[in-house]
Amino acid sequence: MNVYLPIAEMSMNGWLLVSMGAAVGFLSGLFGVGGGFIITPLLIFLGIPPAVAVGTGSAQIVASSMSGAVAQYRRDNVDVKMGLVLIAGGLVGTVIGVQVVRILRRLGQFDLVVSLAYVTFLGAVGTVMLLESMRSIQKVKAGGAALKRRAHAHSWLDGLPFKMRFRRSKLYTSAVPPMTIGAFVGFLAAIMGIGGGFIIVPALIYLLRMPTNIVVGTSLFQLVFVTAATTVLQSATNQTVDLPLAFFLVAGGVIGAQLGAAAGVRLKGEQLRFWLAALVLLVCFRVGYDLVAMPAELYSITPLVGGLE
Amino acid sequence: MSGIARWIGFAWAAVSLAIVSLPNGPVTALPFGLRPAALEADLVLVKKRPPPAAPSAQPPRAPAPAVPSVDPPKGQTSGTPPTGAAPPPLETPPERVEADVSTRNIAVTSGFSGTEIIIFGTVANSRQVSAESGFYDVAVVVEGQGAPSIVRLKSNVGGLWINAQSVRFDNLPLYSAIASTRPLDEIAEARVLTANSIGFGRERMIPGRGSSRVAPEALEDYKWAVLRLKQQDGLYVRNDYGVAFIGRSLFRASIKLPANIPVGPLQGRVYLFHEGRLLASNSANLMLEREGLERLVYDYAHEHPVWYGLAAVLLAASAGLAASMIFQRAAS
Repeated sequence: MNVYLPIAEMSMNGWLLVSMGAAVGFLSGLFGVGGGFIITPLLIFLGIPPAVAVGTGSAQIVASSMSGAVAQYRRDNVDVKMGLVLIAGGLVGTVIGVQVVRILRRLGQFDLVVSLAYVTFLGAVGTVMLLESMRSIQKVKAGGAALKRRAHAHSWLDGLPFKMRFRRSKLYTSAVPPMTIGAFVGFLAAIMGIGGGFIIVPALIYLLRMPTNIVVGTSLFQLVFVTAATTVLQSATNQTVDLPLAFFLVAGGVIGAQLGAAAGVRLKGEQLRFWLAALVLLVCFRVGYDLVAMPAELYSITPLVGGLE
Repeated sequence: MSGIARWIGFAWAAVSLAIVSLPNGPVTALPFGLRPAALEADLVLVKKRPPPAAPSAQPPRAPAPAVPSVDPPKGQTSGTPPTGAAPPPLETPPERVEADVSTRNIAVTSGFSGTEIIIFGTVANSRQVSAESGFYDVAVVVEGQGAPSIVRLKSNVGGLWINAQSVRFDNLPLYSAIASTRPLDEIAEARVLTANSIGFGRERMIPGRGSSRVAPEALEDYKWAVLRLKQQDGLYVRNDYGVAFIGRSLFRASIKLPANIPVGPLQGRVYLFHEGRLLASNSANLMLEREGLERLVYDYAHEHPVWYGLAAVLLAASAGLAASMIFQRAAS
């Protein structure tokens, strides 16, 4: 079943798109990440123009994270208050990020910055998470409890103002760190064309010490809003959201997200983190390999039409 | 070069005067029995033309002076047949070529996965004896709009492969297909082809503003890269034997339009050659347009981008909600 994509100006197999959306949606529901760091490179690999891949990918993340967020909400795994603080920061970060993108595009090294950002952040986050989760898994095997939450771990973070009580996360902490995390992730989201779940999840776990289950639900909750804002911004500035493409990805994505959320129940927190880390590192190596390996074709053509300049 | 042309001219003149009475000239030397093709052609001529007794269409059929071997190749411009102000030979009216496409408007809808168009044309005043004789050569060029494009070259900087240099070409056709009766370099000299924009237009590629400073040889590499990449994408296509004559004057070329062809106007140009000389040319236009839902989506995305974005979000969010509701019901 071939479908013509009017914005991408090409035709693609509809079932391929649906199953791709389903696979990414599954990971999204399982790990609480949007899946943008997988779907965007995948779409580009299939020949979708990068700008369209980034714009449409964000619409797909809205759907799968919405689907996942509702599923998590029903399991009472969303800290709405924390989510709102993250969103407030995220919107600020997105607006700044869009401006930075415009400057980088003018300088002509946007692709390089995106690739380097992918390698840096995926590599760092993946490595830290992998090591930690392996340690936790070993501890659990040895008979201890996984990731002991220190009830009163006083750090400099507690000295910050605007203290808030996040009941669901069992935290009483300043609003500044989550706000900053949200802003940073929103910034990266605009630059890398992702939701930023793979950064927000470990940040909430390791910096704020939130329980992993709550982190997954809360991350999905804030992703819905941040990626919705990104989608509208992409459409308004670049007209690069392909609705039919989004439709097929979404159709698969929402189902995959449900299955993923259900599968996530059976996995323990440290196992979840281990597999997410492995996935993040895999994508990191893939992007990194393209940077250092000599490409088969050294030339590339970019037509300057349709606002892609 | 004009040998055959003159010869044919004489043959024509001879036939139109009378079949049996052979006047002077080379036609007398024609060994009919040994040249069935020529014989057939003559018979066809007789059938088609009004009888020689009533030469109304082309009245003065004096002994052929000289055939139009006069006009130099450099003066050939595309667009109009060389029916110039100085029509030398009344004997052999100059060829004209007429062309059209099988489909003038191609609808790009949700099912669009490429299509095929037929460019057909006819040679008026054809002197060709049969479809197989190869007397004429035809080149068909179908070209999309030109668009500015940036060609980037990666090089290794500190271990990383990054876009280091770029050249901007202001007018690269988004699509280009060339079909011909035989390989272009056999049809005419490169000079003639270039002058008429037959080819993928390497010589038309001129670096625009904002290009890196590159040596002339390096620039050639860029140009070759453009052709290579476009051909890989199926957007520059060449078919050396893609034009076929059907009969003495009718010819056709089928051109495949790939699924990834950018929408917009396409121009089809047809060139008629004989022995390396351009005799006539003509053009026909067609339009690739989004239709139906695809058109609606595209127009809406460009005319109301904010609402379009909100619609996309609404679609995605409601799909997510619907899925989770369905699964909830299924689970409980």
